[in-house]
Amino acid sequence: MGSRKSRNLLLGMLMVGILLMLIPVQDAIHTSRPQVFDPDRKMKRVSAISIGPTPAVIAALGGFRTVAADLLWLKAERVWDGGSWWAMLPILDAVTQLDPQFVLAWQVYGWHAAYNLHAESETIVDKRYWLATGVSILERAVEANPDSWEMIFELGWTLYDRAHEPWRASEYFYKADQFPGAKSYITRLYYRCFEGVMDFDRLFPALEYAKSHHNDPTVSDDVQHQVIVNRDYDWWMQHKDDPMEHRRQIVIENTKRAERSVPFYLYPDDPYWDVCPICGLPSPKGSDVCSVCSAPLKALSERAGRPSSESAASTGDSP
Amino acid sequence: MTPQLAFLIGLFIVVVALVLTRKQWAPAVLHAVPSVWRIAKITVAEARRRRVIQAVVILVVLILISMTFFSYLSPQEQSRMLISGGLAAITVFGILLAIFIAAFLIPQELEDRTVYAILAKPVRRFEFVLGKYVGALIILAAIVVTMTVVLVGVLLLQDSLVQDLPDSAFNPNIGGVVFAAVMSYFSIAVLTALIVLISTVASTTMTIISAFIIWAVGSLQSTINDLAAHAEIPVTKALLTIVYIVAPKLENFDFRNEVSNFAPISYMAAWNPLLQGIGYVVVVMILASIFFNDRQV
Amino acid sequence: MASGETVLQIEGLTKVYRSIFTPAGVKAVDDLDLSVRRGETYSIVGPNGSGKTTTLKILLGLIFPTAGTASIFGKGIADLSVREQIGFLPEDAYLYDVFNGEELLDFYAGLFGFSKRRRRELTDELLSLVGMQANRKIPFRECSKGMRQRLALAQALVNDPELLILDEPTSGLDPAGRHQMTRLILELKRRGKTILLCSHFLAEVEEVCDRVGIMYRGRLVAEGTLAELAGMPTEIVITTSGLGGDKAKELAGHAAVLGVEDGTVRMGRESEGELWSVLEEIRRAGGAILEVSRPRPSLQDVFVRAIRQDTPEEAQ
Repeated sequence: MGSRKSRNLLLGMLMVGILLMLIPVQDAIHTSRPQVFDPDRKMKRVSAISIGPTPAVIAALGGFRTVAADLLWLKAERVWDGGSWWAMLPILDAVTQLDPQFVLAWQVYGWHAAYNLHAESETIVDKRYWLATGVSILERAVEANPDSWEMIFELGWTLYDRAHEPWRASEYFYKADQFPGAKSYITRLYYRCFEGVMDFDRLFPALEYAKSHHNDPTVSDDVQHQVIVNRDYDWWMQHKDDPMEHRRQIVIENTKRAERSVPFYLYPDDPYWDVCPICGLPSPKGSDVCSVCSAPLKALSERAGRPSSESAASTGDSP
Repeated sequence: MTPQLAFLIGLFIVVVALVLTRKQWAPAVLHAVPSVWRIAKITVAEARRRRVIQAVVILVVLILISMTFFSYLSPQEQSRMLISGGLAAITVFGILLAIFIAAFLIPQELEDRTVYAILAKPVRRFEFVLGKYVGALIILAAIVVTMTVVLVGVLLLQDSLVQDLPDSAFNPNIGGVVFAAVMSYFSIAVLTALIVLISTVASTTMTIISAFIIWAVGSLQSTINDLAAHAEIPVTKALLTIVYIVAPKLENFDFRNEVSNFAPISYMAAWNPLLQGIGYVVVVMILASIFFNDRQV
Repeated sequence: MASGETVLQIEGLTKVYRSIFTPAGVKAVDDLDLSVRRGETYSIVGPNGSGKTTTLKILLGLIFPTAGTASIFGKGIADLSVREQIGFLPEDAYLYDVFNGEELLDFYAGLFGFSKRRRRELTDELLSLVGMQANRKIPFRECSKGMRQRLALAQALVNDPELLILDEPTSGLDPAGRHQMTRLILELKRRGKTILLCSHFLAEVEEVCDRVGIMYRGRLVAEGTLAELAGMPTEIVITTSGLGGDKAKELAGHAAVLGVEDGTVRMGRESEGELWSVLEEIRRAGGAILEVSRPRPSLQDVFVRAIRQDTPEEAQ
């Protein structure tokens, strides 16, 4: 290089060339980490509860969002211990906005709204509101963490257990079950959604799926994937066209559940069977005495002032 | 212009520039390597004898060791806190040390006139700048390694002490922590290059102030990009775009959030930021050499 | 002994510093022409701000000239290979203060690519030469000013340079230190080094230099050997004792005597033929003749005269 000017010019060319070559590299970085770099994703994220730091504040923290989220999380713990349940909301909102990948915070946030605040509410309107809010929080959580089976499961469980929407819940259980790290109980919960509402059209395909997809090594083969009254798929295939037998097994199961203080699947009133108030087991509808413990069924039901079995059958409660 | 086209044009320009200067850069590179290395070694040796740096590192080590007071949290939460806090400490102190080491590298030599004895020797100006930078990188690598080793030790210790619960286990995530620390080091390296560039033309005070501003801007790169994309006034858009292009892409190297949340990371995700960082540093060092070449000492 | 070969050639060198406060610029070096031959010790003298250090910095590539050229060993000053043969001692030399003499010399020798063994040998030789063997482990910041200057000279010699450029080598030293440094420079001169020296300590310059260039306000106002600059002696000075006041007055009236003061009788050089008669007069007046001499003007005198000629209105 003769003069300084020509040397600087050539060096300048080198710099410009390198900068141009870096453009696709930066693009590749952007596409590989959308949760950090995708501008559309950022701009779409709006809090249902509009409390908490603005996106500018979040951005200003740069890489220290996680630390800020941690400090607020610790504050949330203190607020929880202090019993200020309502004050938890803005804190948890801030935590999840600062660190949308903080799965535990989302879980607590959604659970707090759907369970605790739902229970604390005094009117039906408020209860419905908090339940819906909890569900929408968890939906946002799933959107922010599409690769987290725990998050998807949490939404599914809230829909199943709290909102009593088993069909919606089943979709999320199925989605969560596709992840390699998902626990085995998710597979069982998937078909239990249909078991609870006796949707046999969906239950049996779900059972087939469970058998082929997932085996829990802690459970012996004899009792794997046994639904409703501990009968497995093969048994149900055999008896699927026998609604009386279905119901009989359900009543037996309900009795066992009552012994364990676990809620019933179905209403105890049944078109085919009378449930004995003494032993809890089924006897054919209209029986005078219990076929299991010989208790005087008719007398006991009249004494309780319950409708007779004939009138129950006439209401058309079909299987 | 598509990224691919930009890459090809850039490659063409680089090749042309290298071909035109082939008679100069080959011997220059051969001469430069030992000179750069010697200046780097003396820079490291000098820093080792400065008590201030040692004191700060000891302070950080103490901070890391003391981050074990979250016993009321679940094991998983404890590991998350320790990881995110530890990595934050490494990043913050790494950046602070980088700023104060790099800002004094060249201006101090000019002020003390120790540079005269070196530049009177057959040492090219760019070798001096590069040697100083490489020396700073070695010092900062030693600092980050020390802090990372301590953090890993603390995590392993906590792992052995904390009782796991059935639904919550202490996850030291050592691989992720080391990965995040290494990437943090690379972001420090990029920032250090810029600080060295500024120090070739500015005083120590101006360099330090500029360094903090650049750190803030570099950490907000994605926000600036968003704002530039959504800006409506053309002047604002142009200004933000220029700032985005010129500023260092420090967020590229920030994996602390993923590591703290135990998200799976593909280690191949390191290659792109690394390439980007190396390219950026090369450009900055070329510019620093040009500025220092023309500087009257 | 200087040979005919020109080692350093400066032609029309000019350096103008411009700033927003001085848009017209300040000429630190103004159209300087200078040459130094092999083996010669050349000194540039001048007051502070005369452009001496600026000239040296230009030669070393530390600052860049506005105009003019300079070549060392026939090569342009931008040629890096020139620095393989130069040693530079900067003014108030400051080296890395956390290192000791041994470490410093090892580092500077390393910049020339010497092997570890050679660096060790050089370190020993140079520390002996500058008298720092015993203090080789003392960190630079704990060294006295004299020790620092000696170490700085040692680093300038690490590559056994053909041309030594010394900027104010005795600056800040006490008389003993100055004496030591002067002895070292003479030793280097004896070894055949070409030395370009900047100083405003004229006494030391007189002792070591072959040629002197006087710089003032960026220009070379006078140049030559000491003899050339000083010129022929202009007076004869007779030192006496025992001359009483009246006798002194009487003697001062002699035609060939320029003046009598404190026993010192001055005669003009043109009255040399009257010397014996003046001596006879002194003897008759009862005075004892201690010394008869023809003093040359000192470099100081030359310096002042040269500056006066350059700027008559400021010469006072």
